[in-house]
Amino acid sequence: MTSIQHLYWRAGFGLSPAEWLMRKDWSIDQAIDQLFAEATNLSPVPLPGRLVRGRLNQLSCEEREALRDQQRQQLIQVNADWVRRMANPQPSALLERMTLFWHGHFACRSRGGHLAAQQINTIQQHALGNFRDLLLGIARDPAMIRYLNNQQNRKEQPNENFARELMELFTLGRGQYTEADIKAAARAFTGWSSNLQGGFVFRRVWHDYGQKTFFVKTGNWDGEDIIDMILEKPAAAEFITRKIYRYFVHPKVDEPRVQLLAKAFYQSNYDIAFLMRTIFSGDWFYSPENQGRKIKAPVELAVGMIKQLGLEFEQDIALLFLQRALGQQLFNPPNVAGWPGGKNWIDNASLMLRLNLAQSILAATQFDFRTKADLEDRQNNGQGRRLSAKANITALHQWLSSMPIQQQWTSLATYLLPTAPSVSTQLMDKYTSAKNPEERIVQMAIRLMSLPEYQLC
Amino acid sequence: MHFKRRDFIKASALASTSMLVPNFLQAFSTTQTPASRSGKILIVVQLSGGNDGLNTVVPYDNDIYYRSRPRLGIPKQEVLKLNGDQGLNLAMQSLKDLYDEGLLSIVNSVGYPNPDRSHFRSMDIWHTASDSDQYLQTGWLGRYLDHACHHCQQPYHALEIDDSLSQAMKGAERNGFAMSNPQQLNRTANNRFLKAVAQHSHDHDHEEVAYLYKTMIDSQSLAQYLFEQSKVYQSKENYPNTPFGRDLKQIAELITADTATQVYYVSLTGFDTHANQQNIQNRLLQQYADGMKALVKDLKRNDLLKDTLIMTFSEFGRRVQQNASNGTDHGTANNLFLIGEQLQKPGFFNAAPDLSKLDNGDLIFQVDFRNIYATILDRWLDSNAPKVLRKNFDRLNLV
Repeated sequence: MTSIQHLYWRAGFGLSPAEWLMRKDWSIDQAIDQLFAEATNLSPVPLPGRLVRGRLNQLSCEEREALRDQQRQQLIQVNADWVRRMANPQPSALLERMTLFWHGHFACRSRGGHLAAQQINTIQQHALGNFRDLLLGIARDPAMIRYLNNQQNRKEQPNENFARELMELFTLGRGQYTEADIKAAARAFTGWSSNLQGGFVFRRVWHDYGQKTFFVKTGNWDGEDIIDMILEKPAAAEFITRKIYRYFVHPKVDEPRVQLLAKAFYQSNYDIAFLMRTIFSGDWFYSPENQGRKIKAPVELAVGMIKQLGLEFEQDIALLFLQRALGQQLFNPPNVAGWPGGKNWIDNASLMLRLNLAQSILAATQFDFRTKADLEDRQNNGQGRRLSAKANITALHQWLSSMPIQQQWTSLATYLLPTAPSVSTQLMDKYTSAKNPEERIVQMAIRLMSLPEYQLC
Repeated sequence: MHFKRRDFIKASALASTSMLVPNFLQAFSTTQTPASRSGKILIVVQLSGGNDGLNTVVPYDNDIYYRSRPRLGIPKQEVLKLNGDQGLNLAMQSLKDLYDEGLLSIVNSVGYPNPDRSHFRSMDIWHTASDSDQYLQTGWLGRYLDHACHHCQQPYHALEIDDSLSQAMKGAERNGFAMSNPQQLNRTANNRFLKAVAQHSHDHDHEEVAYLYKTMIDSQSLAQYLFEQSKVYQSKENYPNTPFGRDLKQIAELITADTATQVYYVSLTGFDTHANQQNIQNRLLQQYADGMKALVKDLKRNDLLKDTLIMTFSEFGRRVQQNASNGTDHGTANNLFLIGEQLQKPGFFNAAPDLSKLDNGDLIFQVDFRNIYATILDRWLDSNAPKVLRKNFDRLNLV
């Protein structure tokens, strides 16, 4: 893999064939400048119409079922749109990548499209901004408020769920706070709620204005004070930096390096863009030990394929089904700790599915795979779906068609794989029978995408 | 006589798997190739969606039950009575037969402190065996494979009959194996191209590439092994003609073929009955009960039931009070079934749930499910429960 490919895989989702041809000779600095320049333009996701107008418990059973169905449809739409945006980011690949990272960090299950889209927008707005603003945005995000039961966090009966995860999973990690700190923080976030329109609302009558002792300081703290006091601890910068390192650099942490980065991040007053630029600009980031070491998450795998082959799926639901089959459904993490990632993506079943995926999509064959049933869904869904998609390989064809076969193989392998393939091109060529040049290129791509190496980035 | 057949096929399965093994990787060499099972078998049956335990094991002598469920309560005369105050749903005659034979233990009011009423979170808690305010990223059976299962760290020691692997089966270092259809799995795992790739790839010094190749080659050998094993014994037993019934038959056939697997995992889904519960639940319960009876008969025929324990659970029970749509909403504690020949206390393990003492309309748990896990791990699977569950839970007098 070249340094440019490495950068674009980590800071974005790889390169389309056209982008690859245009940028492969760029300098790293030029590419980094471009990535960060693009990221200054936000493009909020359109919010699907808000469905609930009245109280849920005033609806009949049928009305509620119909409502749930509409919510599901909207969520599928938001999900599929996001996948397509990641594959073809307008305007910024880096911003989409950061948004996906924070979506995994602030893991949250959403039931409807409106709240899900709203949450992506909040994350996108601060994804490269200041971590404090991001954290505050999440603390006020209605989807998160509902997911972590802050709706039920009231003066008379505090609910500690959000306060606990705020410290354990979002900022500090275990061992940095006491149970008493959690209780105090929970009281400070009482009344942080959401309304029927799906917006944030602070309910004074539910808020506890009493004195609270948090991190040994006593005062009439509210949620913002708690966030500030958490971020005063350098441990918060370390925790976030370590997670970013694991995700963007290498699953195994280089602790001295993380300490240095965390210190700089803390001194920058939690400037996320500064931290990311520091990482992408370091020589060490491009060392061979850091390249091609990440097992692609299902969404990365799917987005990469869509990008490389110009795939267009006939149905949105196919994109969702793919995520479910591969074990990572956006807006539906296993729990608030998020997707464990790394080797956890791989077991016999998921690996075989991954290795056969390009073939299944491009050959438009019946896809015999039953996904785990949705626990709320009464039908046994997801059996034998068609995953058919149209590929657009015009750019690949233009690039490769004039080359001799051997050179086609090496060019395509360099483009698609992070390391040289473990099997010879002669062997792969034996399993590539098409005579038509365009079909042949598709077959070659399928072979390369069926190799275990393709699972890495 | 079944010994002969099993021995013969075992030999042929071994032969064909070892032919597959490429020489450069000792991924799955013949010494590691599963020969046969050593130790007991656990089958976990998951009823997904939250089964309504009170209409499964019915407290037919309890007025509160009938008052709380004016339309959904099962009339006394329709209950298959087991003792003076509890009986089974009419759809479960097959399970009553097992009860009468002393092959069933019913544990009432199983749950955990501070119950979560979300399917996803509660299932997650059952799979990872965490506290309700704790998040673990490994499953209890995965951790069993990781470090507490003697000489059985291979994926095939825990087999899920499905296309994907549940959280429960994923460890930090090791995972179980998922397969819904041996033929189909073998076809995709050993398609011509991937087989050639496995045989011709050279050595790797790239750690992650090596890991992926090893996993691929392991999976291919195992797919082939399980495919061969699945052909050893064709069950004639009458299983429900549904995916769940076929999954159970698959399990019986693999066990009878002396497959090295120790833990099987299988799910039946659709129990989230918020509306018009009766027909939906009865159909599912009948499928479950008939399936269990067929499985038990099948295993008994070859005297394998003595080595087998079946545990059935659901992520939560449902509210005591029915709702306005003739359904029930998410609740808390629930009953759990153990089936086998080696039960310490066949029949009822404990008393019926106390409907007069509820927490916000929900049952209060009496038995932590992790006490049951601990018991099974230590006393049945000969493992180390505190290591797997990361805490000490008392063993119960179950097996």
